[in-house]
Amino acid sequence: MSLFEDIGGEAAVDAAVDIFYRKVLADDRVSEFFDTTDMEGQHAKQKAFLTMAFGGPNNYSGKDLRDAHKSMRLDDGHFTAVAEDLVATLEELHVPQESIDQIVTILGSVKDDVLNR
Amino acid sequence: MALVIFENQTIELEEGESVLEGLTRHGHKIPSACRAGVCQACIMIMSEGELSNAAQQGLSAPQKALNYFLSCQCKPSSRLQIGRLSAASQQVQGKVLSKDWLNDSVLRLRVKAELDYRAGQYVTLWQGGEVARSYSLASVPSVDNFLEFHIKHVADGALSPRLCFDIQVSDTIGVQGPLGRCFYTARPHQPLLLAGIGTGLAPLMGILRDAINSGHTGPITLVLGAANAKSFYLQEALSILADKYAQLTLQFIARKVDGPESSTALEGDIYAFCAENHPDLKDYRVFLCGAPSFVQKMRKQCFLSGAGMSDISADAFLSFGK
Repeated sequence: MSLFEDIGGEAAVDAAVDIFYRKVLADDRVSEFFDTTDMEGQHAKQKAFLTMAFGGPNNYSGKDLRDAHKSMRLDDGHFTAVAEDLVATLEELHVPQESIDQIVTILGSVKDDVLNR
Repeated sequence: MALVIFENQTIELEEGESVLEGLTRHGHKIPSACRAGVCQACIMIMSEGELSNAAQQGLSAPQKALNYFLSCQCKPSSRLQIGRLSAASQQVQGKVLSKDWLNDSVLRLRVKAELDYRAGQYVTLWQGGEVARSYSLASVPSVDNFLEFHIKHVADGALSPRLCFDIQVSDTIGVQGPLGRCFYTARPHQPLLLAGIGTGLAPLMGILRDAINSGHTGPITLVLGAANAKSFYLQEALSILADKYAQLTLQFIARKVDGPESSTALEGDIYAFCAENHPDLKDYRVFLCGAPSFVQKMRKQCFLSGAGMSDISADAFLSFGK
């Protein structure tokens, strides 16, 4: 069974996305990147992001991630903040530690693309 | 390079230019109003090429299948052959039934027209084939045998002065739509929060009565905000509803409350009021209607108070400009 199926597939993403989006909106380190006039659009992006992080079917390429984050001038601190918010979300949903570790590994694998390094 | 072929003419679009802008620049008269993909006044048809999702946002499945698109939202990347769509073919003709003032600047307009819609949706109203503006429906199709609109009189507006003063009972009016996704869907027991400012009451009134008529059993709270308590309207009709249905609570919040007619209103700020009185919106179904700044701020506040993003429906009243 894949990680994505293991943690509950799309239903898990649906359960996580509101909690995660609330956390980043309340996180002074990164809230400016998520606070937008188009909350529904931003919400959809967070859903796509979580699907990828959960090892689910996604259409993200390294180039997409680079292009999407290019103009944001992100650094390690921003990346860490989002990762911490995601881990806190998963803990709140009682996702097993083993799955959280796998998700953190997936996040680590896209770090250079997100930070355009 | 983006090329548009229209009425035997090939038009080269400038960088970032929409089809509507390109056609207008070349002297073609294409009806349009909001230029934001909301009113659908600028709808056209494509015969050759490829349309982006953005160019067809908000259109119905049959309209999409027929290759209809919104010229204001269409920024093609290659070649597109397009044609006019008779604006009239997208409208039904309505007849004005009645006009009466609800306060000193809001007119209730009732129109008889054959339209299949959901309470809370909006339509684009047409006068003279070229002036178009979008208005929310305040009526409920299963109860009312007319369409009801709350027209805020804007002195230098394109359509509202005509609707308020020029148009007469039994005159015809074009109705295009219905449009929008802000309508009643909820579990029967789910608590509802309906919040709005100004004529945001129009769609909320429709949603509220639709919910009650659909047998909604959960509590329903209607919160209305205004700069001055004098601009609230339909307060009496609302209190009759609240007397009849115990599940309904009304809250009128105005930044300024004076005069005897304002006795039912509380003085305050609608955001602070909601934060204090509705701090936990978990499992709520929320409807927000009014100016975009209100909808945006309230959506965020409701979401952070626990309402699920998919449980918040909103109708932001775009200012159409000139």
